[in-house]
Amino acid sequence: MTRESNFAHQASFRDPSGYMFYDGAILRRAINPIYFPQYTKLKETGFFATLIDKGLLISHEETSVSKEQIILTPEKIPFITNPYEWSFEQFKHAALHTLKLQKYALSQGFILKDASAYNITFHKGRPVFIDTLSFDFYEENTPWRAYKQFITHFFGPLVLAKYHGTDIFKMMQTHIDGIPVKLIASMLPKKTKLSSTLFTNIHLLAKMESKHKEDYKAETKIANLSRKAQNNILDNLFNYIKNLKLNEATEWGDYYTKTNYEAAAFDAKKELIKEWTTALNPQKLIDVGGNDGTFARTVLDKVPHVIVTDIDSNSVDHNYRQLQKNKETNMLPFVCDVLQPAPGVGFNNTERASLIERLKEYAPDVTLALALIHHITLSGNVPFEKSAEFFATFSKHLIIEFPKRDDSWAESLLVRKREFINHFDFYNETNFEAGFQQYFTLEKKETVAGTKRVLYLFKTKGYGG
Amino acid sequence: MIFLYFDAGTGAMIVQGLVAAAAGIILFSKGIMYKVKSFLGLMKEEEDTYDSIDVEEKDNGANDKGK
Repeated sequence: MTRESNFAHQASFRDPSGYMFYDGAILRRAINPIYFPQYTKLKETGFFATLIDKGLLISHEETSVSKEQIILTPEKIPFITNPYEWSFEQFKHAALHTLKLQKYALSQGFILKDASAYNITFHKGRPVFIDTLSFDFYEENTPWRAYKQFITHFFGPLVLAKYHGTDIFKMMQTHIDGIPVKLIASMLPKKTKLSSTLFTNIHLLAKMESKHKEDYKAETKIANLSRKAQNNILDNLFNYIKNLKLNEATEWGDYYTKTNYEAAAFDAKKELIKEWTTALNPQKLIDVGGNDGTFARTVLDKVPHVIVTDIDSNSVDHNYRQLQKNKETNMLPFVCDVLQPAPGVGFNNTERASLIERLKEYAPDVTLALALIHHITLSGNVPFEKSAEFFATFSKHLIIEFPKRDDSWAESLLVRKREFINHFDFYNETNFEAGFQQYFTLEKKETVAGTKRVLYLFKTKGYGG
Repeated sequence: MIFLYFDAGTGAMIVQGLVAAAAGIILFSKGIMYKVKSFLGLMKEEEDTYDSIDVEEKDNGANDKGK
């Protein structure tokens, strides 16, 4: 990676306490003198140590200390996912994690001064807080100043998802500081006013916010709130969120009972993938459209870091539950629509990097794309060379499965084109190979026994060796 | 002092008193329900894998008060 030394991280500018920067390829955190008193206290009281020890806060090392600046080097996180890429369960856990931190901070005489969803990401199979400078001193009897942010970043989107589905999380792309309270309130069914938690935390909040929006001089007196009262808010939100379920949540439909091939073929495919992948000895692997991680799991013990994405939030949820149950720490699932990957959003369009940029930086050694190309080609109408270009942007090796025209699923997608079916005559092995060979060299090719599917191993042109 | 580096929202600061009052009532009644249910053996198992809001501290002096 070529990056200028001391290049400030694009997402790190909102808080004057400090900023993240690249020191060559290493990401470090600078703390400005304005935050020295807080930092010293957090360090000396063992607050940081406890949170790091419990895996609640990303660990860091103090790299240098001077009068002008303290430099920390945090533990490296291989891949950052953003709130609009989380499944329901992941979003819930991120919210619970934030409340847990605030409650603990409060008990130790500190507060979380912000409750941004971007301060949480998933690492080693669980949520972790990544903004070390988000803690400040608690001033006795003051309300939680990040309360509204918690509602707009976490509580609102979660409650909306309950009624409208997890597509709501995509609104976080257009509202980088969370969904406005008034908008949340307007999108909730009227009956939610009968819930005392929803009425007070959303509807009443929306009302109070519009009542006081013209307080330009910030002169309205802020009422006191005892520590006990604040704990009640946190406990109640925690309980409510923990019990929150999607209205539309269909039970996990077990995708693999709907496959169009036999168990033997299923195992043959697994074996082939395992064999090819293992031979490449990858350190990082991504399975695009990997459903609940079934195929990625066949190599999980051999690859140090594995990402599995899927368009279906339910599959990602299922994968997330499995990895928590199995205590897998090297698996990262998230939601991704290949036909519409997450764009770069926020200030300068660079505050939150696009999916492609993050994937390029992640640079997986192996990319898996199983039972995906027929969807991209036949549902998305994407020509083969365009798909190849997409995969070549970030992949070194690509293992891709091609369902032939007479595969029942490809067939079904084709017949749904009705009178336009002739427009898709190009969908065949020859054209697929020609399209992908513009960007890749063909290394291996094998028909999966008992299926009408062919597995290919490609190597991206331009990757040496 | 607290550095106001983003607007916390005046309404959001004021409303917390009322939110807390409602939360207090809910938590109190839930506490009673919990006791009744566990007395009757009606407790359901937790489905969520996220543990609890409290950070457990082994060496917390607060636990040693009785000694």
